[in-house]
Order: sequence, then C-alpha cells, then structure tokens
Amino acid sequence: MIKLSNIGRTYHRGDGTPVQALRDVSLDITQGEFVTIRGASGSGKSTLLNILGCLDTPTDGAYLLGGEDVSAYSDRQRSHVRNQRIGFVFQAFNLLPRTTALENVEIPAFYVNEAIDRNKALSLLKRVGLSERARHFTSELSGGEQQRVAIARALMNDPPLLLADEPTGNLDSDAGRSIMELLSELNSEGRTIVMVTHDAQVASYAQRELVIQDGAIVSDQQQSKPATAGSPD
Amino acid sequence: MNWYRTITLAWRTLSRNRLRSFFMMLGVTIGIASLTAITSVGEATKRDTIAGFKRMIGTFDVINIQPGGGATRGMPSLATVEPVLKFGDAQAIADEATTVQRTAGVQFAFDIDVKHRDKTGSPAIFGVSADWMQIRGFNVSLGNILTEEDVRSLARVVIIGADVQAALFGDEDPIGKTLRIAEIPFQVTGVLESRGVGPGGSSMDDLLLIPVTTASRRLFNRDYLTSIAVQLKNPELADEAIQEITAILRDRHGIVPPAEDDFKISNPRAAMAQVTQVDTTLSKLLVGVVIIATLIGGTVIMSLMLIAVSERQREIGVRRAVGASRRDVMIQFLGEAVMISVFGGLIGIALGIITGVMVAIQQQLAPAILWPAVAGSVLLSVGVGLVFGLQPAWRAANIDPVEALRS
Ligand SMILES: Nc1ncnc2c1ncn2[C@@H]1O[C@H](COP(=O)(O)OP(=O)(O)OP(=O)(O)O)[C@@H](O)[C@H]1O
Ligand SMILES: [Mg+2]
Repeated sequence: MIKLSNIGRTYHRGDGTPVQALRDVSLDITQGEFVTIRGASGSGKSTLLNILGCLDTPTDGAYLLGGEDVSAYSDRQRSHVRNQRIGFVFQAFNLLPRTTALENVEIPAFYVNEAIDRNKALSLLKRVGLSERARHFTSELSGGEQQRVAIARALMNDPPLLLADEPTGNLDSDAGRSIMELLSELNSEGRTIVMVTHDAQVASYAQRELVIQDGAIVSDQQQSKPATAGSPD
Repeated sequence: MNWYRTITLAWRTLSRNRLRSFFMMLGVTIGIASLTAITSVGEATKRDTIAGFKRMIGTFDVINIQPGGGATRGMPSLATVEPVLKFGDAQAIADEATTVQRTAGVQFAFDIDVKHRDKTGSPAIFGVSADWMQIRGFNVSLGNILTEEDVRSLARVVIIGADVQAALFGDEDPIGKTLRIAEIPFQVTGVLESRGVGPGGSSMDDLLLIPVTTASRRLFNRDYLTSIAVQLKNPELADEAIQEITAILRDRHGIVPPAEDDFKISNPRAAMAQVTQVDTTLSKLLVGVVIIATLIGGTVIMSLMLIAVSERQREIGVRRAVGASRRDVMIQFLGEAVMISVFGGLIGIALGIITGVMVAIQQQLAPAILWPAVAGSVLLSVGVGLVFGLQPAWRAANIDPVEALRS
C-alpha cells in the first residue's frame, strides 16, 4: 500500500544551512500492518510521518500510495488524499477549541461534497466510548477523552491508513493503554497504522518496528511476539 | 466546501467569538451608519426643497412669460411693469405654438385695500383667466373655481386665499359674502386650499383671484398683462417651446435684430436645477465619509483577522490535515471577513435609517430613505470584506500545516 523509494527531505535553516531530516529512506508497508517508528528526538520520525500523510512533500525520491505517485500531486490532490485515505492522530490531540466533540468528529466530512452524516459521527463517538460526551466542548474533556475524540475524527471518512505521532505521549499510562487498545482493535479490522513512539511498552502493540537515526532507517524488524490487546468489552 | 457550509462555518466561528466579532464589525457599522444617515437626511432635504419649489411655481410643465427684457427680479406688478404683454399675445401663443397646451394671462397687483365690514387687508391680487387655476395647480377648499363664464361676463367674483379668509372673515362662512376691492364690491365664490409657505419662508395664502377681464376693465383699467402662464404639451420640450414663443412674441412686438427681446421666459427646470445644486457640497462630503469609513472599517477587519489567523494556526493545521486544501482555508477566512462586514453593514444601515429618520423629524422634514444608497451600502460591505479579508485569508491559506501542528 505504501512504497517509499529513496525519500529525502532537506530543510533549510534561517541562515541557509541545509538540514537533512530524512535521507534515502526506502520502505514498503502492506495493507493491514501496524508499524511503529522509534528513534531519538530530532531523528526525523515526524518528518517521515508527515510525508506519509501527504502533509509534507519529499525533496527527493518517490512516494507511491496505493500505486499512485502522490509526491507529484498538487495541493488539492494531496488534500483529497488526506481527506479520503488518511487519518491523523496527534500527540497534542489537536481538537478545535470552542467546538463540541461531535463537531470535531465531523470536520473531515466538511471537505467532502456530500451531506454531513451526523449519525456516523455519533456512532464513531459511541465506538470510542464517548456517546455521552457528544455535545461537550473540547475544554470539558479529559486528555484521554480528547484523544479518543481525535481518533473518532480520524475515522470519519473511513480512511484505510491511520498515522499517529506519539498518540499516548501526553497521557497517563491508563489512558494511554486504552488508546493503544483502541488502535490495535482498529488495526485488527484491517486498517494500516503507522505510529511514532518513544515508549517500548507502546511499541509492543505493533508487529513491526522501524528505528530511525539521523534521518535514515537503521533497523526494520518484525516483532517476534506481537502483543494482542485484551478484547474490549 | 460549498456555499452553505462556508456560511454555517463562518457563522459558527463568529458567533463563538462574540467580542472579536463585535469589534470587527464596529468600523463598518459606524461607516455605513453615517453614510445611510447622511444620504437619508440629504434626500429628505432635497425632497423638501423640490416640494417647496413645486408649491411655488406649480408643475414643471408650466413656463412663465414676463414683460421687460433685462434682469428684473421678483414679481413685477401692474404699476411698475412695461405695458408690452397683451391679451392677444396669450391667445396667439396658445393658437400658434405647437408645443403649447394652453395659456393664461395674469394681471397682478398689490397694496390695494380689501375690506369686509370693518376689517381691512391688502393681499396680493391676481386677475387670472379661467384656465390659470388648473395650470398652476390651485384648488378650492370651499365653493367653486373660476369659470369661463365668470371671465366672459366680467363677473365681480373673487376666490380668496386661506390667510384672507382668516383675516377678514374669521370663523364666518365667507361663501356668498361681499368683499370690497378698492371699494368695488365682489362676491366670494371660493376659498383656496392652503399652500403653506414657499421656499422663502413667507405664506403663500395671502392672495385673492378675480377674473382677469374684470381686473382689466373694472378694477385696474389696464389692457396689458403682468405675466402669461404657458402650459406645455410635453415638459421635456421646454427649450423648443421657449424658441417658438420667442419667435411669436418678437414677431407680434415687431422686434428685429439686433433689438433685444422685450419679455423674458422662465424655464422652471433650469431654476429647479439651480435650487438642487446644494447637492454637490453634500455629495463631496459623502464621498469623503465613504472613503474614510471604508478604510477604517476595512483596516479594522484586516488587522483583527490577521491576529485571528495567527491565533488559529493550529485550527488551520488540523483542517489541512483532515483534508482542507489551501483554497478551502482561503474561502473559509474570506467567508468570515465578508460575513462580518456584511453584518456590520446591515446593522449600520439599520442604525443609519433610525438616525436619519430622527434627524428628519427633528428638522421637520418628511423622513426619506435613499434606497440606492442602501443597496450600495450592502455592496460596499461585501466589497470591504472581500478586499480587506484577502490578505488574512491568503496568509491563512499559506500557513505550513506541519509547522502549525508542531506542538
Ligand atoms: N521547518 C524546519 N526547518 C529546519 N529544520 C527542521 C524543520 N523541521 C524539522 N527540522 C529538523 O529536522 C530534523 C527532524 O525533525 P523531526 O521533527 O522529524 O524529529 P522527530 O524525530 O519527530 O523528533 P521528536 O522526537 O523530538 O519529535 C530535526 O533535526 C529538526 O530540527
Ligand atoms: Mg516528532
């Protein structure tokens, strides 16, 4: 489903010195995989995830998503890809302020030329265990609840690929565990998940682990013993 | 994003940021309010001027001929006027000028005692032919208008103005009573409808009308007129009519070049145009107000929007991440700018109309609303939102989503 060939991403600092955030990254991810990316701070994890998510464009190499070369796409085409095929989950949740949980979940549907399916948004909130909180404003939700709303939002347009950048990084371990259980459940339904994490515990939910160092992949291993999440009640 | 979504989203954002929205609107509201108020007061003043003018000169299809060349001003009376306009002139113009509907000769005099019992007045005295009342738009509130028969038979009948009625008759019914004009008895057959005050501020009701034939033979013993009122078939053809009449009168008076006319012809439209010239000062003021208001209102919107864009970077990042294109973000912010500006404009229009009506009432004018200015204000608000929303929207659209989402 994902094929990166010799991807490079070079930033230019204010003074003009180039920073190679990614160098020569080649990678294949197949449908239904659960992949984690680990690495030191500044190693290029977020950069890689943003390129996978069509939020950022590589300066070198080619990115094939579902067989299409999206690295050559226009802004509108890439926006459409993000809208239809990719769901983002962020460390900082990134719900909109002064907006209800339900309205947050509906945002992706906003950019589709069809009527907004409120029932679908409600059922997604139910799915993440927040049907009671649908009309609550963001500021009235706990961190774990906010992250679950964010996951419901990522699922609104039913994308096959979920990208999560340290989704548990701002949560305590209980809330983090329930988020991870939710993600592995989504993975077991066939969704591809790529997740950045520092936490080995969290990484153990995945079947495959990439380690990245100075913008290059230095290790790519199948987990010997994929941890299966306890089935949710 | 379709229109409906753009509007609902803008509405949601603006209504959840009331204070900011309020300040964004303020400039446009004040600007449009002053614009609307000034135009409606201006319109009320203009209509009042025109109405006063019409009351004084009658309708615009009437032009007036006076004897004497040169530039005499005001209304010459029989005592001072050159004896050049004759009854025959009025008849000839009516018969020969193709643009003319009908004419009415007038003999005008003042400073003549008018008595009823022990009461005396000296209203303006108009000897007029039968059509004159219709030409000039005079109506009676009591009794009858002058008839052809009155004129033909040199009847000693008089129609009195409202002031004369009040001064000489008080509460008494004047119809059928006798008046003495220069000691000659006349029977009152009608009372004129009140015409209020003219543009000069003096009453237009201190007058009386008698048949011009009676005036000429029985009262003044003069065979010339102080003016001829000419009603045109088509008021648009005033210039042609003036040419025709000039030719007829010069011929009848035996005037050959290089001799000047011994009469002059008024053009009510030209005079009217002069009266409404005051407009230009007002419109200059208005242009100034519009420019300043637009700039202030637009600048307020632009700076508050720019602040909002930087405060809402994260929102922009999220929207981009879930599928908004640059264009979607641009439209979202432009939509907000236009909506706030239009709301500001609509509130401004409402406030301006209220102010305009209050000022008009206070100035004792009939309130008027200049609808084209209202429509223009709506368009202006849309324009202000679009133009001054452009830079913030552009900036919002070009925010790097990766940058915006970095925690
Ligand atoms: N806009 C930018 N301009 C210049 N350099 C940048 C920019 N964005 C990222 N970098 C650099 O690129 C490198 C990779 O950054 P990235 O955010 O991908 O790291 P990361 O692995 O996600 O780190 P962390 O674990 O701290 O989130 C870093 O050295 C960073 O300083
Ligand atoms: Mg990172």
